[in-house]
Amino acid sequence: MSESLLSVQGLSAGYGEMSVLREVTIDVSRGEIVALVGSNGAGKTTLLRALSRMIASTGRIEFDGHDLHDLSPDQAFGLGLVQVPEGRQLFDKMTVLENLMMGAYRRRGKTDIRATLEYVYELFPRLHERRAQRAGSMSGGEQQMCAMGRALMAKPKLLMVDEMSLGLAPVIVDQLLDVLSAIRKQGMTVLLIEQDVFAALQVADRGYVMETGAVTRAGTAQALIEDPEVKRAYLGL
Amino acid sequence: MTPKLKVALAVAVTCALASLPWLASATILQFSISTLLLATLAQGWNIIGGYTGYASFGNSVFFGLGSYGTAIAMVQWHLPFGVGLVFGAVLAVVFALVLGIPVLRLRGHYFAIATLALSQVMTAIVSNLEIAGRNTGLVLPLLNGDPLFYELSLALLVLATLTVFWIAHSRFGFGLIAIRENEDAAASMGINTTLYKVLAFAISGIFSALAGGIHAYWITFIDPVSAFDLSLNVKMIIMTVFGGPASILGPVVGAFVLSGISEILSSAISSVASLFFGAVIIVAVVFMPRGLADVLRRFRKTGWRYFSENVKKYRL
Repeated sequence: MSESLLSVQGLSAGYGEMSVLREVTIDVSRGEIVALVGSNGAGKTTLLRALSRMIASTGRIEFDGHDLHDLSPDQAFGLGLVQVPEGRQLFDKMTVLENLMMGAYRRRGKTDIRATLEYVYELFPRLHERRAQRAGSMSGGEQQMCAMGRALMAKPKLLMVDEMSLGLAPVIVDQLLDVLSAIRKQGMTVLLIEQDVFAALQVADRGYVMETGAVTRAGTAQALIEDPEVKRAYLGL
Repeated sequence: MTPKLKVALAVAVTCALASLPWLASATILQFSISTLLLATLAQGWNIIGGYTGYASFGNSVFFGLGSYGTAIAMVQWHLPFGVGLVFGAVLAVVFALVLGIPVLRLRGHYFAIATLALSQVMTAIVSNLEIAGRNTGLVLPLLNGDPLFYELSLALLVLATLTVFWIAHSRFGFGLIAIRENEDAAASMGINTTLYKVLAFAISGIFSALAGGIHAYWITFIDPVSAFDLSLNVKMIIMTVFGGPASILGPVVGAFVLSGISEILSSAISSVASLFFGAVIIVAVVFMPRGLADVLRRFRKTGWRYFSENVKKYRL
């Protein structure tokens, strides 16, 4: 197995008195796509918020050799932990290009940023067509592309994609999943947080199933798809 | 206009304004000082309200702190005016840091309401401070030098405008705009939103406080109610919104135009002047809700249609 990029051990977190995550342990290696699946309210987004240090947590989070525990969200971002937030969270009134450039906010070096922009346009030719258009006026699928492009502009080490498929047509979801596979081949590491279990496991190398705040199953994507419990509970087979 | 021409024009206008004390009457000079101070206040509000999108009602607190800082330093400690100004600005920065961190966690209306309470609280606190002269206030040493106050106010406005120009073109300002447009997204793009908001609040506060200090020394008398007057904050907002929030010259033009209108109205029809002033504001909000700056930008393209389109677009 290759080198670990993100290692989470015994992570618990919650909001105020209410605890949501109980002793979650996951591991993401460099260059793989890991799917984190589960139904509504399983704690997936809470885990992501804890990883990006938006909420406090106990337990150990190690990312690229750094202990994240005492870092702020912008410091975690600075290490290359970048998320595509749920619901896209675009700057609606800004153009597509401006949104993409916001992704490179923390970076310096114009030629470098320019090169990443070309790369993002290559992945999503639609964004190039619409670069001067207001982001809020695009379709849901295009907005999701814009959100993913914006995150890539930050040159992440780990791309965390939250509920990418939400509200999108299956054909668009397939396109986006293809893009994820493509960037993985170029060495990107992806943590895919999804309710659409089948879609996520299609492109992932490995997966974790979360239920009521804990990881209940883990394994290769293939094994999870074939797992009779997973089949029954999530795939309706 | 090329950038060089713009700079030349700005320098020429500033020089022309600077020569006013040698040309204008005493009354006009007094009116001009208060207009310049109002423009500075509007420009300060523009940083937190216009660029960052936080509608602050706390800027009159900064003004009051600047007034009192200067007055206390000069009257109680017999320090020079310059030191008093700096002391007032330091008070404003401390206030922005200490109160900004909790208050700037609130968004939208909640932030506005929380800051609304601040000036009431400050009035009550200052009314009970021995060093601030309690309810009666403080009387500053008299300095008969309107030209000096005029040049000081002009210099401060130029400084505030240059700061806004820098913000509009800087990485920092881009971050503020991102916070205004979508704070969650800004945070997920690695912007330290708390730090940025507090900095914007503090910079906004410095200019309000300096304007307060100059105003106190010029008027030579301050008391808690007038120093922390909320209606001054409302003026800052109206002037900024009238001129064009998040534009570099909008608040300045807004302050000049509205002060002018208000002055003409009150000398022509003193009793119902504020009624007419209110009408001007309403008409402005209906026909140019995004301010004069937006009219100038888009009028050439759309012509008179600009105004009817605004009415339709914002369903007024």
